[in-house]
Order: sequence, then structure tokens, then C-alpha cells
Amino acid sequence: MAFANVFIRTSRDRWRGWAISAASLTALLLFSMSVYRDIDLTVYAQLPEAWTSLFGIGENVDVGGLAVGNIFGSMGALVLAAMALVMGSASIAGEERNGTMSVLLTNPRSRTHVLLSKAISLALLTGATVFLLWAPIHPIAALLDVEIGGLYVEAIALHLYVNALFYGMLALAIGAVTGNRDTATGATTGVLVLSFFAVGLLPLVEGMEDLQRLFPWYYFNGSEPIFNGVAWGHLLTLLAASGALLVVAIVGFNRRDLKGKSVGTTLLDRIRANTLLNRLIGRLAGTARVSSIWVKTVSDYQTLLLITAAAMFLVMGVLLGPMYASLPEETRAAFDAFPEDMLALFGGGDLSTPEGWYTLQTFGMMAPLSVILVTVVIGAGALAGEESRRTMPLLLSNPIPRSRVVLEKAATMILFSIAVGFATFAGVALGSALGGLGMSIGNIAATATLQALVGLVFGSLSLALSAGTGRTGVAIFGGAGTALAFHLLTSLANISGALSAVEWVSPFNYYLVSDPLINGMDWGGAVVLAALAFALIGISLPLFQRRDIRQRG
Amino acid sequence: MGTTSGGPANTAIHMEGLTKNYGKNRGIKDVNLDVHEGEVFGFLGPNGAGKSTTIRTLLDEIRPTSGTATILGFDTHKDAVAIRRHIGYLPADLALYPNLTGMDTLTYFANLRGGVDWSYVDVLADRLNCDLSKKVGDLSTGNRQKVGAIQAFMNRPDLLVMDEPTSGLDPLVQNEFQAMLREVSAGGRTVFLSSHTLSEVQRVADRVGIIRDGVLVTVESISELRSKAMRQVEFVLDAPAEATVFEGLPGVRNVVARDKHVAMSFDGEMGLLLKAATDRFGVVDIRTDEADLEEIFLTYYDAGEGK
Repeated sequence: MAFANVFIRTSRDRWRGWAISAASLTALLLFSMSVYRDIDLTVYAQLPEAWTSLFGIGENVDVGGLAVGNIFGSMGALVLAAMALVMGSASIAGEERNGTMSVLLTNPRSRTHVLLSKAISLALLTGATVFLLWAPIHPIAALLDVEIGGLYVEAIALHLYVNALFYGMLALAIGAVTGNRDTATGATTGVLVLSFFAVGLLPLVEGMEDLQRLFPWYYFNGSEPIFNGVAWGHLLTLLAASGALLVVAIVGFNRRDLKGKSVGTTLLDRIRANTLLNRLIGRLAGTARVSSIWVKTVSDYQTLLLITAAAMFLVMGVLLGPMYASLPEETRAAFDAFPEDMLALFGGGDLSTPEGWYTLQTFGMMAPLSVILVTVVIGAGALAGEESRRTMPLLLSNPIPRSRVVLEKAATMILFSIAVGFATFAGVALGSALGGLGMSIGNIAATATLQALVGLVFGSLSLALSAGTGRTGVAIFGGAGTALAFHLLTSLANISGALSAVEWVSPFNYYLVSDPLINGMDWGGAVVLAALAFALIGISLPLFQRRDIRQRG
Repeated sequence: MGTTSGGPANTAIHMEGLTKNYGKNRGIKDVNLDVHEGEVFGFLGPNGAGKSTTIRTLLDEIRPTSGTATILGFDTHKDAVAIRRHIGYLPADLALYPNLTGMDTLTYFANLRGGVDWSYVDVLADRLNCDLSKKVGDLSTGNRQKVGAIQAFMNRPDLLVMDEPTSGLDPLVQNEFQAMLREVSAGGRTVFLSSHTLSEVQRVADRVGIIRDGVLVTVESISELRSKAMRQVEFVLDAPAEATVFEGLPGVRNVVARDKHVAMSFDGEMGLLLKAATDRFGVVDIRTDEADLEEIFLTYYDAGEGK
């Protein structure tokens, strides 16, 4: 029963994440079905292909198709694939990094055994989650009186499962061959994101339609299984690829040396390993990054910042300008008919103008999300993170007050929110210039400033929770969860009159509601957001000063 | 209760009624203790007795439920920052930043602290045979502990607080480490050293405080403790012996006789015991072992308290 052992332990470690994902996606399905039900859907017939293709919406638009397509075709598929890839890369490479793999392998089980157990565990958990996702669809549709009879719900669920499995296996294989978890996660995420966008966008470009066949996402949703049923050829392609990856994983894992518990090696480390360069560069980079708490914090989170800022600059900024310019005139006209209520959910915006386009695509969701991601991670990691990693006692044994630790970490957080805001500003400004959209540079800067501020509010909330509780989980989920709730509130307040009475409590109300891309800086909003952020940072000081440092995370 | 008096002028650490409640059966209760300047003070107790809680309270990581403590005359809470200018600290279960090299780690703390003599760091690294160019995450437990120790020593602090410092160090390095502690105290500086092994503390400490279940049971000098220190004595005699021959002798307990082998617990004068044995038998072999800490606790400190 060796399989069972490894499998049970692995599943037990992971089931919570999967269950939460399934529950959130189901809640989202319920939410979107009830919203779509109330709005006029005729306009969807004229929707630009860019939109429908990217979000998995088919031609025969109805409420059920939109909701299920949205959940299964894009959001759910991405979430599930991401969960599978995280689990896949943790399976082998992750256990090696934690130093637990060598303990596991002291048991009388072959590497192949362990790897297969992990793979089965991945397949079963993914399957269970897809089942959890599928099970409530028919009841929800019945409850809301939404017609989904014409949809191939089971077909898309099956496609969803095989798709997630593929990304899990890809990560598992890369991790098993290299033993490096970060490589596995990074490379697989790259393939996932690239193929998602490629399959969404390539069909829009004349003569490039066939290129999408090179990307795995095509075999998931290229046949539009929700409207056309199971495409067995596509499924078999993905399954064959997954099987091949499993073979690669087994061969690769059996042939190489097991890695010890270790930390990653960066390019800089390799250069420093060269004794000749060591003294020079070691002095420059090594001593620089430990010169103070805030510089060290910047250095610790540089990868997160670089990736986030680069994504905002390139994808959400530069790329979208020429893309808008290349949209045919009639498509842009069709945007005019786009339902307000629907747009409000994504942050609002009038799609027939470049400002509206950028408001919807970039600033509505991704821009605040990017700043929130970076600041919440730092805010939570700053204090609670050092406590759970048990480095806080030594840090605090230095002759510095606790307040200085809080303030230097907060400084890093502020710096990072500015950096992401600036990357977004630069990307959008460049995108506007490249596409000849003629947007006001000042207004872009104003919007990016508000973006940085609204993100900073939730980062500061995480910092305060981190300072008050010392628990990383509370800080991350508290900050991110509050952000999500308020974002939803502001979105819904646009649709429902009942909520508009309380919309002022949401920080997002001071971000885009004044349409800063068109109207320029909302100084009042900026002051409210800045005051909120600084108040939360201020509260962090006494909260951290007063309590006991936790001995265990 | 073994509170030893010492004027404030030469007191490095002073605890008065120090109490930390953590809920049931954890924390420390009403600890009164003075540690003199220039001594190596061993803080001894089994795992979970409250050693780390006491130390973490002294360092203002956690705050006492009641009572106060001063270090070098400074209040541990109000003057926490001032105190930290004068101390070096090696926490129990040390964790460092895995992606920094040993040198980076020391540089980081040196930058926060100021005024570190790097030639002294080289000397320390040399003595402990510590490679500072490797990433901490790639070091073994013992080598990581060395980096932590150098970090504590490098500032030539007036007070060294070390929580189970030798865990993970090999015996040779332990010796060197203990020599370094002696040198600190020889130079008039103070060491507060927690441990759960008596033998380790005996080698370096001048005085020992024993804590158990959060209560400071006794404070004694090492020589006092030695004289008390119970041993396990085992004779191999030239003829079979009865237990009664040894029972009743001062300091003898738990005699077990089996043919020519006799074993007992003993904390009296060795000469008397030897005489009793040699008067009646020829002694073929004799073996004595130090009793471990738990035995000492059970024998001396539990009896009267009706735990």
C-alpha cells in the first residue's frame, strides 16, 4: 500500500487549497449567472471577437453559456491549471528543496513508486475538484431559472480536467528532471500564460490563425467544447502529451542525483563563486543588499517586483495600445453597445475610446491587483514572515527599536507600489504613443498614481495585520480578501442602487469612479487613499511594539 | 530558593519576581535572580522548563506578565534598545536568512549595529573554523550555528546571552567555543548561558541556576553542585556480596547487588565508601558515572516539595 501512503499524505496536505478554489469558483458562477440573468444580452451578438475569444464566450450567446463559459473557459481553467502546476512542481522538486525527499526515499520504495504516487494524487485531486465544480452547475442553473440545456457542460468539464492535468504533469516533469521547484513553477506558468493569450489573440490576426495549434490551450478550448461537445482528438493530444511528460519525469528523476536541502543559485551567485570576481562584485552587490533593512527587503522581493512590473509594462501597457489601434472600426462601434452593467464588473469604461479601453483592460482589475499583490506580499512577509521564519529574534537583538523595522519595511512597500505604478504608467504611455491613441500623459500619470495608492492601502492593511498578529496567513488573506470584497462592492454599487449608499466605504470608490484617464487627477480621492494607507502604517507601529514576538509561525 | 545577593553596581542581570504566563503549565513563575558582572552563569533546566522564556523576556521579545528585570542597570522593556547595544545574543533554534552568505549575514547585522571590528570577525571565524563565503541555507546545522555565534561575539558585547549555543557543534568546536566563553569572562565581561546538559555547564560556568517547570529551583556555585553531585557507583568485587553491606552507609541509595557486582547511587565522601568495600572484599574494578540532571532534580529538589 505504498501508493496509498504517499498519496494520502500528499492529498491531505493539499485538499484545502483545492476545496477553496472550487468553492470560490462556484460562488463566482452563482454570482455571474444571477448578474447575467438581469441584463440585456442581445448586444453580445455583436461583441468583438477579441473579447469572446479571450474569455471563452461562444457565438450562441445566452445567460448560461456566458456564465459557464466564463467560469470554465477562462477563469476556472486558469485557476485549476495553476493549482495543478503548483502541486506538480511541489511534488518532487518541492520536497527536495524542503529536504523531505531524502527522508521519504529512505523508505523501501523506489523513486518511480514515489513519483507515480504523486502523479496519481495530482490526477485524483484535480478530478475531485472538477467534480466539485461541475456538481452544483445544474442545481444552480435550476435555482436561478437559467437555461443550460443546450450546453455541453460535461464536455467542458472533461476538457477542463485534462487541461489542468497537462499543466500539472508539465510542472511535475520539469521538477522531476531538474529538481528545481522554481524552474518548474516558472516555466510552466510561462507556458500557461503564453498559450492562454496566444489562443485568445492569434485568431484575431489575419493569417496567424493556425499558429494557435502550437499552444496547449488550443486543445482545451479551441474546439469550444461547451457548444460543440467533446473533441476527442484534442483531448487525446493533451492526454498523450501528459503521458509522455510522465515518462520523461520517471526517466529524469531516476537518472539524476537527489538534491539536498538547498537554496536557489542566482546568476549573481555563480559570478561570486568565481574567486577572481568575488571580491569586487561581492563587495558591490553583497554588501549593498545588506546595507539596511529596507534595502535587504527590496533585494528579497526583487524577483516579484520585476515580474509584476514587467507584466504591467509590456502586456497591460505597451501591447494594448497597438492592439486597440488595430481593431476594425465596426468592432469599436460594437463596443458602444456593450452593456454598462457588464463593464462595471470589470472596472467600467467606455470601450469606444482608448481611455475606456485602457480603463477596462488595464486599470479596472489588473493594475490595482498588481500593486496589491506586491504590497500584500511584502506587508505580510515583513513582520509575520520574519517571525515564522524565526529570523525576527536575531534582527531585534540589534540596537534598533521595533518601530524602525516596521518603518523600513513599510518604506519598501511604498517604494514597490510606486515602482509598479510607474511601470504601468510607462507601459500605457508608450502603448498610447505606439498606437497613436493620443491619450493625455498627465491623466495616465494621475491614474497610475491612484492605482499605486489604492494598492498601497491594502498592502498597509496586511502590514497592520502582520504587525498585530504575527501570522502570515491572516495578513495575506486579510489584505487580499478585503481588497476582493471592496472591489466587488464598488463593482456592484455601479449596478445596484441599493449598494450606492455604502459605496463610499470602499477604497476603490476613490480610484476609478472619477474616471481619471479622462478627467485627470482626483485630488480628493488621492488624499483619502494616502491618508488611509498612512493611518494603517501608523497603527502598525503600536501594534507591533506592544505584543510578544511569536516563537513559531 | 537560591537568590544570591549582589549589589546593583556589579550586577549584570537582575530579575525580580519575573513572571510570564502562557496558559497552562508554561512560562515562568516569580523568578528572582542576580547574575554578577564577569561571571559565566549557567542556566540549567530540562527541555521546556522555561529557559528560553526567561531569555526572550530579558531581550524584550516577549513582555513579562509581572515582575521586572534589568540588564546592566537598564530596564529590559523601557531601555530595550540601549541594552541591545551592549549584548550579543544567540537564540535557541537559530534561524538565519538562507539566501545570504555568512559574510552577508554578519555585514547585515554589523550595519544595524555599527562599530564592528572586522579583523576580530576573521579571528573568530578562524577559531571556529567557519566558512563565511557559503550561503547560510547551504550550511549544515553546526556551521550555521557558528555563524550565529560569531554574530554574537563580534561586537565584543558586555553581556553574551546564549540559548543552548553548542547544539549541533562537534566536540572540538565545542571546546574552542567554551574557551572563548571563558576568555569573555576573564576579560570582565558576562556570559549568560542556557543549557540542558549539566556537564557542558560544569565546564565553563562559575555559578548555575536550575529552572524546572518555570520555577527557579536553586542557584549554586559549580563547586557546591559538584560536592552534591550524585554519582552512579559500580563495584566488581572478588566475592559475591549482599546489598546490606553498603546499605546504611552515609550517601548511599538504591543498592543493587548481583553476584559480584554491586551498583548504587552515591553522593557522600568517596573515601568512606571505598573503605567499606575494601574492608570486606578485594575490589577488582570500580566505575563511577555522573548522575544526569534529571536524577539530581529528583534527588535534591523534588523530595521536599511533594510535587
